[in-house]
Amino acid sequence: MAELRIEYLNFQRGKFQLTLDQLVIAPGEKVAILGENGSGKSTLLHLLCGSLHGHGRISYNERQLDKIPVADRALIFALLPQFAEVIFPFSVEEVVLFGRYPHTRGNSFSDEDWRLSEQQMQDLDLLNLRKRPFNQLSGGEKRRVMMARVLNQDAPIIFLDEPNASLDIRHTLEIFKLLSGRSETVISPVHDISLAERFFDRFLLLKKGRLLADVPRAQLTPELLTETYDVQVTRGAAAFTFQHN
Amino acid sequence: MKKLVLIIFLLSLAGSCLIGSTAINPFEMSAVERDIMLSLRLPRVLFSAVIGAMLGLSGSVYQLTLKNPLADSFTTGAASSSALGAVLAIAFGLPLPLVPITALATGLLGLLIVYRLSKTNGVINPVTMILAGVVMNIVASSVISFAKYFFEDSLSSIVFWLMGGFFVIDWGKLMLCTATLLIAYLLFSVRALQLNMLALDEHSAQSLGVNVERLRTIAFIVATTLVAVAVSHTGIIGFVGLIVPHVARSLFGSDMRQNLFFSMLLGALLLIFADAASRSIIPGGAELPVGIITALLGGVFFLYLLKTRRERFWHG
Repeated sequence: MAELRIEYLNFQRGKFQLTLDQLVIAPGEKVAILGENGSGKSTLLHLLCGSLHGHGRISYNERQLDKIPVADRALIFALLPQFAEVIFPFSVEEVVLFGRYPHTRGNSFSDEDWRLSEQQMQDLDLLNLRKRPFNQLSGGEKRRVMMARVLNQDAPIIFLDEPNASLDIRHTLEIFKLLSGRSETVISPVHDISLAERFFDRFLLLKKGRLLADVPRAQLTPELLTETYDVQVTRGAAAFTFQHN
Repeated sequence: MKKLVLIIFLLSLAGSCLIGSTAINPFEMSAVERDIMLSLRLPRVLFSAVIGAMLGLSGSVYQLTLKNPLADSFTTGAASSSALGAVLAIAFGLPLPLVPITALATGLLGLLIVYRLSKTNGVINPVTMILAGVVMNIVASSVISFAKYFFEDSLSSIVFWLMGGFFVIDWGKLMLCTATLLIAYLLFSVRALQLNMLALDEHSAQSLGVNVERLRTIAFIVATTLVAVAVSHTGIIGFVGLIVPHVARSLFGSDMRQNLFFSMLLGALLLIFADAASRSIIPGGAELPVGIITALLGGVFFLYLLKTRRERFWHG
């Protein structure tokens, strides 16, 4: 369990500025970050992970991020970056096992690490790919392997940068369903608003580096989305609706 | 498989002691032959094995930390900038123990320049890295050529040494190189699992609790120490570190817990063979610098990698 607190965050790069005054994310919340391209979604994620540095205060369980050693951070949060690559032909199961690295002592993985990896591969429909080299997989398959690695890290907070990018609809639904059933905090920029509305409880709407709104699902109105994305949004029956069986 | 490679290694080690300008029959050795065997051949074979292991190990680490399958001591410019330091140290007449240290300093500097040039927005561009490495080689070579003309006294020895080879060996040098190799291997192997994480992109590795910058710095320093010590004793022997990590990876997987050891072993094996060939290719006792043979093998292998990796790698 970990609480994330942001106070007076301010980050500037060239002409782009990201500001966030006050934000507390309680353990277990499922938070979607919405906003158009370049609104600061990924930047916010990188600030929260400590790979970018801004002014202000980011703390986990009252502990300031800058004061937490890198090795300890891995036990608090995990990250699925937008573009994840692996050089050299590591197998799928090796990459999933990498997720257990923060829990290892010395130079080897324990039986427990292997067992948990097995479980993740099962949950993400990867068992039939386990011996395949990661860098020969399709984009969607790679995404699922990386997701398994992230979940395998077993951190109380998970940052997912567009988790369903290049995933087919079945795997998207499976993964979102899996995530919404888990106890971890999930914080994730999502492009598909309808999907986000279905699986997340809280929505941060970003526009040009500013937090436009911070609302629960019930208050995610077409008006708010219209303002966020500068397009007309109305509620209506979609041409197709998908339900996982 | 592992046992097989070990057995092949030991057999080659023994076998190549018998090959050379005079072939020796181990069952009927004359006193002279015994002398050749123990004081010339054996140290030389051991020395080529140790240097090969050093280059193989450094190549394995360079390829991982620079995320580039074409990286090795030669293509990163580390070897030639180390050679530059060594040449200058020799030319200025510095005491011998200072030669590898000067080589390390210039080697690290060269590598750092190449690394900085090829890194943009936290991502190392593989093509820029190779280009920067090539340019570093050219710059270092021209300064070395300058030194050769300027300090005419030591000219012939420098030229000979630069081509790479095992001409002057004593047990002291062998011990120094072996010690460097063992310490480097130890430093890498306790971090082998952590090194694996560097195969991931930088953000993912960092999020798994690896201090990427620090680990990369340690890796650069230790790998370049291997190169600097090797280069100051045998000159530039290119491409050993390019070839063997790939062979080790395809035989034993990409896991650094295996790859470190097998890159070392296969590097030793490659250089034992290359040196045995360089001793016996020209009939009548003359020998080739071993660097010529490895450069020939490595150049072909480089082209092969360039071709096979092209689509997926170079154009992202």
